[in-house]
Amino acid sequence: MKKINNDGSFYLNPYFGGVILGTVLLLSFYISGRGLGASGAVKNSVAATVNVIAPQHVEHSAYYSQFAGGDKKPMSNWLVFEVLGVLAGAFLSGLIFNRLKIKVDHSPKITERRRLLFALGGGLIFGFGSQLARGCTSGAALSGMAVLSLGGYITMIAIFGTAFGAAWLFRKNWI
Amino acid sequence: MIGPIISSGIISPAWDNLFAVILGMGFGFALEASGFSSSRKIVGTFFGYDFVVVKVFFTAAIVASLGLLYLSYLGLVDFSLLYIQPTFLTSAIVGGVIMGIGFAMGGFCPGTSLCATAIGRIDGLVFFGGMFLGVFLFSESFSLFENMYYSGSQGAKMINSVFGISPELFTFILVLAAIGMFIGASWVQKKVKKVEY
Amino acid sequence: MERKYTILAILLVVLALGLVVLPKNNERKEIDPKVLLNGVAERSRYLSVDQITHRIIENDPTLMLIDLRPAEQFKTFALPGAINLHPDSLLTQSGTDLLGQPGKDKVLYGNSDLIPEKAWLVCSRYSVNRLYIMKGGMNDWFNTIIKIKPATGTPSSTDLDLISFRNAARQFFVGSGETAITTAAPVQKEKVPVIRKAPSASAGGGC
Repeated sequence: MKKINNDGSFYLNPYFGGVILGTVLLLSFYISGRGLGASGAVKNSVAATVNVIAPQHVEHSAYYSQFAGGDKKPMSNWLVFEVLGVLAGAFLSGLIFNRLKIKVDHSPKITERRRLLFALGGGLIFGFGSQLARGCTSGAALSGMAVLSLGGYITMIAIFGTAFGAAWLFRKNWI
Repeated sequence: MIGPIISSGIISPAWDNLFAVILGMGFGFALEASGFSSSRKIVGTFFGYDFVVVKVFFTAAIVASLGLLYLSYLGLVDFSLLYIQPTFLTSAIVGGVIMGIGFAMGGFCPGTSLCATAIGRIDGLVFFGGMFLGVFLFSESFSLFENMYYSGSQGAKMINSVFGISPELFTFILVLAAIGMFIGASWVQKKVKKVEY
Repeated sequence: MERKYTILAILLVVLALGLVVLPKNNERKEIDPKVLLNGVAERSRYLSVDQITHRIIENDPTLMLIDLRPAEQFKTFALPGAINLHPDSLLTQSGTDLLGQPGKDKVLYGNSDLIPEKAWLVCSRYSVNRLYIMKGGMNDWFNTIIKIKPATGTPSSTDLDLISFRNAARQFFVGSGETAITTAAPVQKEKVPVIRKAPSASAGGGC
């Protein structure tokens, strides 16, 4: 099971990691009736923030009003708590496997600045797409696949299919 | 105990958020320990030097699907109470394509960017921040996409019904396909030029 | 390393195959009468005629309308998208399959609530979830949506909203060519002012 990679760091055997992840996912459905997710927490945070700044806007918006405004509590939401857990769990893992380090992970062929710019752009585009698809790779794709949801599979295929082609376009950044 | 436990009222709903944190911790730990906090490791799938994404993703999906179907068979889970991601054909595809571009550009998805942030990677934090902007942009321009957002609604349709087979049979075929993918991935990884990451 | 993976792969295939070949579990578990009584007293199973009409117009895909009336009545007129199920077939394989479909809210209705109540009780006893009754049945539906109900006293703003919603709904249904309904309203489809809302799932949702 030991596997040392190029950066000298120890990572779990991917199949073992997959089994653990699958078990957590299974438990999530068994306990709360829903799968894991991530982009939903971002959506709620944005809605909550806008609600603080401009509550009227939230009330009249066809999108925000679905989960914020009035007496809705977007931040007191399952996903938001789950995301906090994700941060804690990942930190713990980084601590145990000695990966805690503040740095910018980037290919030696490009500059830090370029990596950060593309990370920002990528995040922006991803955030936009996640709202349209009502989920991300964790929520729509992974959790959707667990319950054999058609929408989940479609989104998963769309994401990975596109990413294969798009990665080739951005290959200078990676290899 | 028949799941979902919270819905059947065996444990009060007040515990739901606590479980959310615990489940999230398991999620984050599993992701980070498998290497999903490194963007270069994640995009390895697209260049053939590291297929960790394929292996973890599909193994997890299979384990969860098999688990749920077995639990349902044993009467320990009421499948009709599980949240099934609803299908909105157009937005599922278009949103997925857009996310694919963002994925290839930033090397992260929301969950993995959180893991990267948690261990100090600034690019993860920046990606996550970028997401806020993207979500905000969508929310503000929602009226432009409203029709697309609601079109092609199929409800909570399950993929096996598209092929007219049972969920169990579909999962079996999925397992075979996944094993094929794993074998293929290992083969490709051996052949590909080594990348320093 | 290869051997270990081969064993794991075989294990996985066997597990998946097991699911396929295991005999279909037809055993239905009965729920505790006390739990059932709680459900009866709770009254959360009722959906109003307005709520159902709203979901019909919006084409809500999580809505499954089950018409418990005799076949001839169903053929004359039924709510759009409704499925005809005879109360006798509630516990047959096809009835169980219908009621067991995931991701749907099953709404029972008849002419009145007499038969739907009994059906609800029987099915809930066998742990059918997300089962509802359209309160008042077809009788109430006709009287509320199709016939014009005179406003009693001074209507509040919510009442006025309800009245205008029902007017619009009437146009929707009458405009679809129902000649059995006599009303003075012109037969033309008016744009129904519906607020688009994503159908809410029972266990919360999102990504």
